Amino acid sequence: MLGKLMKYEWQATWKLLLPANLLIVVMTFFGCMAVRLNLGDIDNDGIVFGAVMILVTYVGSMFVVMIGTAIFLIYRFYTSTYGDQGYLLHTLPVDKHHIIIAKVLVSSGWVLFCSFLMYVSVVAIFMAEDGLIPEVIGSVGTVVETAGGAGSFLTGVMSVLAFVVSIVARVLKVTACVSLGQLSPNHKLLMSFAYYFGIYFLQQTLGSFYYAFLGLINRRLDQYYYGKTWEVTLIASLLYTVVFYAVTWYTMDKRLNLD
Amino acid sequence: MTPIVQCRGLTRTYGRKIALNQINLNLERGRIIGLLGPNGSGKTTLIKIMNGLLVPTAGEVLIGGISPGIETKYKISYLPERTYLHPGMRVEEMVRYFQDFYPDFRMDRAYDMLARLQIMPGERLKNLSKGTKEKVQLILVMSRDADLYILDEPIAGVDPASRDFILHTIVQNYRRNATILLSTHLIADVENILDEVVFIRYGSIILHAGTEQIRRNEGKSVDRFFREVFAC
Repeated sequence: MLGKLMKYEWQATWKLLLPANLLIVVMTFFGCMAVRLNLGDIDNDGIVFGAVMILVTYVGSMFVVMIGTAIFLIYRFYTSTYGDQGYLLHTLPVDKHHIIIAKVLVSSGWVLFCSFLMYVSVVAIFMAEDGLIPEVIGSVGTVVETAGGAGSFLTGVMSVLAFVVSIVARVLKVTACVSLGQLSPNHKLLMSFAYYFGIYFLQQTLGSFYYAFLGLINRRLDQYYYGKTWEVTLIASLLYTVVFYAVTWYTMDKRLNLD
Repeated sequence: MTPIVQCRGLTRTYGRKIALNQINLNLERGRIIGLLGPNGSGKTTLIKIMNGLLVPTAGEVLIGGISPGIETKYKISYLPERTYLHPGMRVEEMVRYFQDFYPDFRMDRAYDMLARLQIMPGERLKNLSKGTKEKVQLILVMSRDADLYILDEPIAGVDPASRDFILHTIVQNYRRNATILLSTHLIADVENILDEVVFIRYGSIILHAGTEQIRRNEGKSVDRFFREVFAC
């Protein structure tokens, strides 16, 4: 049943999100063209204005696609799980674990796809400008040196893994907050936002305490921070993933309240 | 044989408001049962608990002897009082959706009913009228070979001519050993197909009897009797 749930989740999302994400590719193409013009050498104000507008549109479209993807996925989860469509979803003979996993995997996949496209897009823009890439590589090298030789293959792989898990944890934080919000007799959506900001504040506070504690025991905080960043991210994300998954499952399976 | 529905001390509250109050009810198999009561009497709350969409505050409900869960969802075919279909999907996609998830779904039956109602399978649900969407939902629900059909206000939002089609569809398509629990306040329209009625008011069952028994003992139709019992 998990495969079927994922198939329908994909079908419900791709028609909007795929074209939206392809917009990044199109805007990247135009952005690269604008950068390649070497605006400093051009006297024609019209061309300069056009190229600047393309770059502004490129940056704007990035934000719109990123925020739009997040809003759409949250809206999709809310309406299909706790809105009218939830009446169908929760009367299907499927395990609640499968429902959560299908939604989280598809949503996380879209966020990762969007993030990957943006990363490639930014790299492409840098590559279009002569001389920028060596500068960027130089900056990354400085960070790697600060990390104390952290530029190994393992660190790279683990950093990507930590990033992927952190995305899953963020998606699950949204599902947990929406699920907690529906327990409220009134203003369910508002309560979901309240839970989100409450948890966000708690996470920030815990993070601050953690780094303050490190500062007390380790004078070279900057080195420690860079050297251990993927480990901290991975462990924290795994912990949050477990907690937010448990909250989502418990409220959906034991405290469902479709009224 | 175990009753298809057993409620024991079933209670549901919303804050300080009592929606269901100590409901004890057994529904037998092979019957068409009307769950009748005015608006806000607790009909939909009772139905949602049977479907596992709400958790009771106290007591329990058993479907075929087991608590609401995956197994009971195979047994129940549920029509809610709202549109639960994805508006962006086509009718044929919803038919495939039901076939994918319900092993007892009969695709040929669904397409036969769609053809009789002249509903185009390729039509998107968002382009259909509210009444047509309700008919599509009913077709999907009645195309299953379930043990228990729970229909919440199936005729409330449609014109009188369509009501006849819907009632005909319900009677023609359910398995003879299955049970239909039909919630409505439009009693005159459904009275002729009901074997039993359950009257509910303020979250309590005030009557559970056969329709023939009511007509014989009270000397009046169930609709007339209902109007007297629930007179304001």
